[in-house]
Amino acid sequence: MGAFDLLRIAGSSLGMHQTWLDALANNIANVNTVTSTSQSAFQAQMPIVQSAPTGGVEVTGIALGDPQGRLVQEPDSPLADANGYVRAPDIDLASQMTQLVMAQRGFQASVQVTKNAQDTYTAALQIGQR
Amino acid sequence: MSVPGIEAIGFTPWTAPQLSTDPLSAAGAVGGTQAPTGPTGPNTEFGNLVLDGIDRLEGVQDRSDQLAVKAATGDLTSIHDYTLAATEASVTTQLTVAVRNRALEAFNEIMRMPV
Repeated sequence: MGAFDLLRIAGSSLGMHQTWLDALANNIANVNTVTSTSQSAFQAQMPIVQSAPTGGVEVTGIALGDPQGRLVQEPDSPLADANGYVRAPDIDLASQMTQLVMAQRGFQASVQVTKNAQDTYTAALQIGQR
Repeated sequence: MSVPGIEAIGFTPWTAPQLSTDPLSAAGAVGGTQAPTGPTGPNTEFGNLVLDGIDRLEGVQDRSDQLAVKAATGDLTSIHDYTLAATEASVTTQLTVAVRNRALEAFNEIMRMPV
């Protein structure tokens, strides 16, 4: 345990939330990405996280969504098969937006922790000053 | 120093670090052939402490500088990596300067001592 563990732990949280935000941005960007039925659909990404043994949080992997997706009737699409179907990703946009807010708030909370850490260190430096 | 009361339940008493008495006895020796050698350079404990602190400060500042270059060249993968390194470098610098100021203050206090 070092002197700057507070910053290190907050930093791990910032990293995790940034990964989460990146994954959500990618999911939302591809929410309307359709593929032909012969291919697999875009797979939503979801970070798998766990608490680190030395404190903080770490991303241990990225879980992928269902490659089957949803079959959508879109006869006008150039990717449509003979029956007029395309494969859309199985992403719930409302859930993604909710998670976006959660990830953003988590990131902001960690930023606040780093601010408080800085204030704490500054206070410690003033011990014994005249 | 031994404190049986607390040692019995698994605690070891804290003992104050003993100052080396060698320089004092050397200075007190009358007619000694060897001149008293004061604490020199980085061999003293406080010198080591300061040097370690400065080494650490240099490492932290190097890391911060590298990330600053990355930020300027667009190679920075996450903003908070740099801001955290910069914060750590800033606090470490302030700590080192504070220790240096306190040491200087102590030295001046000794120099003002009437002999």
